[in-house]
Amino acid sequence: METDELLLNMGPVHPATHGVLRFKLRMDGEIIRDCEIVMGYLHRGTEKLGEMKTYLQFIPYTDRLDYLSAMPNNYAYVKAVEELADIEVPLRAEYIRVLTLELNRIINHLVFMGSLILDLGANTAIMWGFREREKALQLYEMLCGARMTFSYMRIGGVREDLPEGFIPKLNDFIKDMEKRIVDYEQLINGNEIFLLRMKNIGVINADEAINYGMTGPSLRGSGVNYDIRKLEPYSIYPDIDFKACVRKECDSYARYLVRMDEMKESLHILRQVADTMPAGDIITTQKYGIAPMTGAPSAVMTYFPRIFTPPVGEVYTRTEAPKGELGFYVVSDGTTKPYRVKIRSPSFCNLVALPKMIVGLKIPDLIAAFGTIDIVLGDVDR
Amino acid sequence: MNAAEELKQAMPAAVVSTGMLIDKPLAIIKKEEILKAAGKVKEMGFDNLSVITGIDYRDRFEVIYNFFSYKKKENLVLKVVLDHEAPSVDSVASIWKVADWLERETYDLVGIKFTGHPNLVRILLPDGWNGHPLRKDYDMETEQFVTMGEDGEDIVSTDGSNLLRRR
Amino acid sequence: MDSVTIDTTKIKPAKKKPETALEKLNDTGLINTLLAAREREGMILFSTVDQFINWGRFSSLWPVTSGLACCAIEMMAVTMAHHDLARFGMEAFRASPRQADLMFVAGTVTKRMAPRVKQLYEMMAEPKWVISIGSCANTGGPYIESYSVLKGVDNIIPVDVYVPGCPPRPEAWLYGIIQLREKIKSQGYGAKWGLNK
Repeated sequence: METDELLLNMGPVHPATHGVLRFKLRMDGEIIRDCEIVMGYLHRGTEKLGEMKTYLQFIPYTDRLDYLSAMPNNYAYVKAVEELADIEVPLRAEYIRVLTLELNRIINHLVFMGSLILDLGANTAIMWGFREREKALQLYEMLCGARMTFSYMRIGGVREDLPEGFIPKLNDFIKDMEKRIVDYEQLINGNEIFLLRMKNIGVINADEAINYGMTGPSLRGSGVNYDIRKLEPYSIYPDIDFKACVRKECDSYARYLVRMDEMKESLHILRQVADTMPAGDIITTQKYGIAPMTGAPSAVMTYFPRIFTPPVGEVYTRTEAPKGELGFYVVSDGTTKPYRVKIRSPSFCNLVALPKMIVGLKIPDLIAAFGTIDIVLGDVDR
Repeated sequence: MNAAEELKQAMPAAVVSTGMLIDKPLAIIKKEEILKAAGKVKEMGFDNLSVITGIDYRDRFEVIYNFFSYKKKENLVLKVVLDHEAPSVDSVASIWKVADWLERETYDLVGIKFTGHPNLVRILLPDGWNGHPLRKDYDMETEQFVTMGEDGEDIVSTDGSNLLRRR
Repeated sequence: MDSVTIDTTKIKPAKKKPETALEKLNDTGLINTLLAAREREGMILFSTVDQFINWGRFSSLWPVTSGLACCAIEMMAVTMAHHDLARFGMEAFRASPRQADLMFVAGTVTKRMAPRVKQLYEMMAEPKWVISIGSCANTGGPYIESYSVLKGVDNIIPVDVYVPGCPPRPEAWLYGIIQLREKIKSQGYGAKWGLNK
């Protein structure tokens, strides 16, 4: 039978687009023939602002890129500047950083799980996910007072030391979380409706996924054994025992499972970090730092100068953020402000592959596949 | 021998110079040869194009390609220098699909034309936006407003009277 | 400087905060209605129309689901079990603006999004209220210097309550919502004509 094609608009205000994204779908009945993605509804000009602010002032803007995982954003930027200026970070600061990074990975994946299942039409998972997220956020509040936009990393270290009683509370959280993940898996993994919606939906094989620029858990769901924490180890990851979670199925279900496994790995990392937390400075005292005042506790009195000028040069660093490869290209011209800050955001590049995944499927499958790519619009549009 | 020198050996005519970008091998490529060099880079096993960065240096533009190889676990950085008047360079979107959007973004914000790109239109800012914000001479004073046309398309103008409640 | 004497007798005592269930009911103004109805053996309802309508309006505000940026995540957090927006009768987030009477402008309003936000507001049926959440929506916040961000959502639509923060904590959201409820309580024809109080 001859059918006419229908142009369907979805978004920018739509509950399942995780923010303000717009799809222009060419439909043949229920079947998606073509998908064009329109973005930029949250383009805030972060890269331009990076050129207008000093190195330290730009840290809060990195929070607001991928607002679900602010800490890895902070870290990626700070790491780029540290590499540019060749600053060494004290060991305790690195441990605290990894602790916060992995905690944030758990938060990110909890929200991923909740919103994915919510998009598929069930309410329980998001209630559960946000319940545990609150507990993790309480830890962050102890640490830096903020719930979402932390600005906790500093060039050369971190802003504040761990508060008293943080490690026991963290251990409680880890213990609790281990049980909860079992709960989630019992709730979701075997659910027949969920499996029908996820299995063999949004399939993309490894070569295509690499060519389309996918990174992070989405790529590992396509069977590529890669993790920047393993390939180009940074911070204290070489000393820590963990594995990259990989699945071979290449579909939405695989991408979901990778993230659930990553939560367990993150808990494993957290436990190691909490057990072996060394003592020492939390911010660098070398080179640009000010030496501690005599008689004062060093952690309180050392600080990094607010205005600092790294040497002329450029650097690109990659880190493994919860959503994929987060890179910062920072160019310094020897003044107090960066000459150029380019953000390589994981969500933007992961989204390129979406039209490839969903052509030939139905609209509900679009929602499922889109949910498992796990994007945040602040990160896409910047 | 790192990847940049390997590339120079394979295509001595295309590579202007090699060096290091902190810890990553860097090769500066002639503007006309980028598509060929990119093909060679792909052959060498650099299957992932991480990012394309465009930088305005006031007297010239630079486009920087960061590659990574999942097989060899190596990095490679290619750099192309363009003149400031009419910056344009060949598109590599035919080799890496991700370059499609990355080039559109560079075109949108920095204003570098990628010849041979299948669909070189603005991606983050609406069509019709005046200027490329990441250029150093971008006019930050003139405010531009977006209104919606009948079919939901964006109309850019400096007159916000349709949109704003009070002036 | 002259000393200022304050006549304490002229100061109205602060309104006692309703604590018991009965006092809370009394605070809504409905108790008079109910008592009057009981006295007349349920035959006649006697109240101001305003009180009755406002009670209906503020007790079940239905927000439209329109998260724009970071604050939208806190909007989800407010809705979820820990902070539990359902206590205020507004857990029914509507995907369609036609069914909603409250809009949270939660996040940065960019130039490109501004006409859509305005359209969304215009699509909502009267009566409608707007809560501007977060520094970005209030004034442009950290992005005020940006070329693509609108400097405050009140430039395009009227705003009832502003909640500061970046993003505001869920407690601040709830406080903002309570402020809006207080505002709705004082709305109506009677208040407009000075008859109610």
